[in-house]
Amino acid sequence: MLYYLTKRLGLSALVIGLVVLVLFSLLYFIPGDPATIALGPRATEEAIARYAEKMHLDEPVWRQFLIYIGNALTGDLGLDVFSDRPVTAIILERIGFTLSLVGVGMGWAVLLGIPLGCLAAVRPNSWLDRVTGILSVGTIAVPSFLVSIWALLIFAVHLRWLPAIGAGEPGQVGDQLIHLILPAFAIGLSWVGYLARMVRASMLEVMGENYIRSARAFGLRPRRVIFGYALRVAILPTITLIGMGFGGMISSTVFAEIIFARPGLGKLIFDAVMARNFPIVQGAVLVATGLYVLVVLFSDTLIAWFDPRVRESL
Amino acid sequence: MPQDAAHAPETLLDVRNLSVDFRTPRGRVKALRDVSFPIRRNRIVGIVGESGSGKSTVLWALLGLLAKNADVMGGEVRFGDRDLLHASEAQLRATRGEEISVVFQDPMTSQIPVLTYGRQMLDILYRRPNVSATEKRHMAVEMLRKVGIPDPDRRIDQYPHHFSGGMRQRAGIAMALLTGPQLLLADEPTTALDVTMEAQIIHLLQDLQKELDATIVVVSHNLGLIAELCDDVVVMYAGEVIEAGDVREIFHNAQHPYTRALLECDPARINDVSRKLPVIPGDIPDLSKALSGCIYAPRCQRVLPVCRETLPPDVARGEMSLARCHLLDGPHRDSSWPPPLDVMTVGQGEGTAAKPARAQRDAPLLDISDLSVQFEVVGPIQARLKGLTQRHVDAVLDVSLSVAPGETVGLVGESGSGKTTLGRCVLNLLPSQAGHVRFEGEDIRNMPEGRFKPLRRDMAMMFQDPVGSLSPRKSVRALITEPFQIHGIAGVDLDAEAERLAEMVRLPKHFLSRYPHELSGGQARRVGVARALALNPKLIIADEPTAGLDVSVQGEILNLMADLQAEHGLGYLIITHNLPVVRHIADRLAIMYLGRIVEEGPTDEVFARPVHPYTRALVEGVPQPDPDRRRVHVSISGEVPSLLNRPKGCDFAGRCPVAQDRCRTEKPPHLTMTDGRRHACHFPLG
Repeated sequence: MLYYLTKRLGLSALVIGLVVLVLFSLLYFIPGDPATIALGPRATEEAIARYAEKMHLDEPVWRQFLIYIGNALTGDLGLDVFSDRPVTAIILERIGFTLSLVGVGMGWAVLLGIPLGCLAAVRPNSWLDRVTGILSVGTIAVPSFLVSIWALLIFAVHLRWLPAIGAGEPGQVGDQLIHLILPAFAIGLSWVGYLARMVRASMLEVMGENYIRSARAFGLRPRRVIFGYALRVAILPTITLIGMGFGGMISSTVFAEIIFARPGLGKLIFDAVMARNFPIVQGAVLVATGLYVLVVLFSDTLIAWFDPRVRESL
Repeated sequence: MPQDAAHAPETLLDVRNLSVDFRTPRGRVKALRDVSFPIRRNRIVGIVGESGSGKSTVLWALLGLLAKNADVMGGEVRFGDRDLLHASEAQLRATRGEEISVVFQDPMTSQIPVLTYGRQMLDILYRRPNVSATEKRHMAVEMLRKVGIPDPDRRIDQYPHHFSGGMRQRAGIAMALLTGPQLLLADEPTTALDVTMEAQIIHLLQDLQKELDATIVVVSHNLGLIAELCDDVVVMYAGEVIEAGDVREIFHNAQHPYTRALLECDPARINDVSRKLPVIPGDIPDLSKALSGCIYAPRCQRVLPVCRETLPPDVARGEMSLARCHLLDGPHRDSSWPPPLDVMTVGQGEGTAAKPARAQRDAPLLDISDLSVQFEVVGPIQARLKGLTQRHVDAVLDVSLSVAPGETVGLVGESGSGKTTLGRCVLNLLPSQAGHVRFEGEDIRNMPEGRFKPLRRDMAMMFQDPVGSLSPRKSVRALITEPFQIHGIAGVDLDAEAERLAEMVRLPKHFLSRYPHELSGGQARRVGVARALALNPKLIIADEPTAGLDVSVQGEILNLMADLQAEHGLGYLIITHNLPVVRHIADRLAIMYLGRIVEEGPTDEVFARPVHPYTRALVEGVPQPDPDRRRVHVSISGEVPSLLNRPKGCDFAGRCPVAQDRCRTEKPPHLTMTDGRRHACHFPLG
């Protein structure tokens, strides 16, 4: 187990290192001098030289890369070009909004999708199964930004039940939660469909296994057979899917955060790209990658915890 | 209705006129028709039949766990004062596990892999709210101890994959007996196990039945198991009970022509070691069509015109003995039927009976010497981190074996003995670490695939799973001619080749356009033989050629293989765990244990006078289809050790009844005896 974790952490570090390398080289492939881009076309020679020195632009590229990595390791992701504030601080300010959005979005999808898939599998071809099937395909097919816009129009503009934009008053948890509802609904909706379909398929497979027949032959309660036995095995591939889903969701937050004007990581990256604010882009993408790698690692470990055969082969 | 214990009824459960249909795309299949038999208290009742006989359907019907497409068309299952066929789901669930419990066929798949035995057994006891969790655990531990699981206090917290096959089946029996059920159903309880394990499980069931005064129903196709274990026997064929009776009546004085034929086909019963095995011609009838007369009439050797039109009477002999045949009663009664046991009533199948010319031993086709195959178990980094010095296990160790043209060599061993690994290595499907594999004198070990590919025409493989080894999307015609395409052989009329090969394996021509799922096991096996023969090979490696085939069909395949050998001078290397079968077809036997050959010699002599104690255990381990030859003791206990901790001395020392100190410290070398047999034992049996 310890060996497995060490190996996985090492691999994760390698992935993040590669991402840094790609991000870093991007800067050198796009046309233009970083200092000019950063300071704008009307900057003086002197200002450019000062900036170049501060950003180590006169060093060889590989040294710049090492300096960046070294700084990143100590939590220093550079300075915002416009405000001169540390990128780390800016990201920390915003990341909470994104994490809460992804967490609530995936959370409600899991809480609804898994039971739906289970019920559909236990009663295949029932009306519930058919409705679930149709809704699954429907929700998967509709992109999340469309859902966002429709949700905004219906619930905020026409019905005026929920606030349209922003993340709520700082410090007021209730207000912030109300502001979470629409965007979380928008990004989670297609995941309800994904998860229901996935769980249904693997439950159907597991329900046909001999050990389910054994449990029934020993007279166990149907509820125990379904949730204690079948779901325990059927959930394993779904955990992997959820883990990977977090990565996809971090990208869907870009749309949701722009449409609902939430100050999250996605909006930060979007604004920074528009403004060619590269230290922010680099830092935010790096943090997003790190999050993704951690979640996948966590989901793999969770599977090992659920499945003794996997646990022992680690 | 309260029952007086002193006058407890003889019959614990009574199946009356049970009929079950399956709804299938092809129409309704009448899987069970009018099945009736009693299960008497404190008896072990065997339900025996081939595949498609409906024996498992009966078992699931008793539990109310029939497949969803099954319809109960009529009948009743009396259990006490209830009718289980018409009980509510809640009543049935209260019965399952508590009053009627089950031991399943395959302990590898019938126990949930993600829960410990403790958890699974606690779940079974959920209906006892007055018993504390500690007491339940204690009950579970005691039951595990009773079925022979060592150190049950610790092992109860382990998962199924920590247990070997035999141990899992013991645990499965413990789970079934945990609640003290009145009736225990066992569905092919030893089919997934090795011979030495099978013997242990049979004895365990026998002992437990006596100790717990239980009533057991065993469903099996294995006549030896039924003869050894059961008191009463019910013989089923194509969804009907055609004969029932006391085990001795059935095995010594079978009344129904099918029962007779089935017994005669069992290779374990045939003492005359000839190349020809008896077979029951024909196939099981299509139960989706209208049926009339005797269900066995189309295959019966003694068929009369009346058999095809009128349902034969159930002729009773005793309390629960009956046979359903026109020969036994009524106007067509034949007083000379049944003939004495030594008279054969079934044919030997078609084909030539020529005994192949014995080959010259000095020019082997295949010659394996000192072959070793190692498997890596841990990677180099992990081994260093964990401080392991041994990164490999020896799956095959110092194996020497040869096959001459026209010779059949049987490679026998239990699961994990390395026999399949050896076969794959010969076919260059696995790399090996030491030794030589010579094919017609040329060393082919670890030969690059580019050079080896032409040789593949000369060596063919028959795979273990006849249906699973055929691509489900290809027709039989395409499957048979696939070898030509793989080897890029142009200028052959593929259609003509397909017909030639189909004729060779006696597969009717119209089968060529069918797909594998439309074939029976025997037909799929014929396709496998045809594929192997397509390119006129010299050597065929057959991995369990009769696995999954019914007794009445396996004879056909073995006879076919013998005929083809006689015609083409093929060399066969037959990998199997089925001793009765190899006894009939192999010229020489090699017995493998834990990757080493422990004994090798002519088949007759190995059977008559085994030299290695393991060989003797295997020979004695086969249950005999004769209730008068029941074994009183199990010849070896324990199970095959893991390759990871191969014993320092003789691999078999830990289980050997005659092992001495030297066996535990010194690995016995391969010795050749004066008569040419070889063995690896310090103290060979005299």
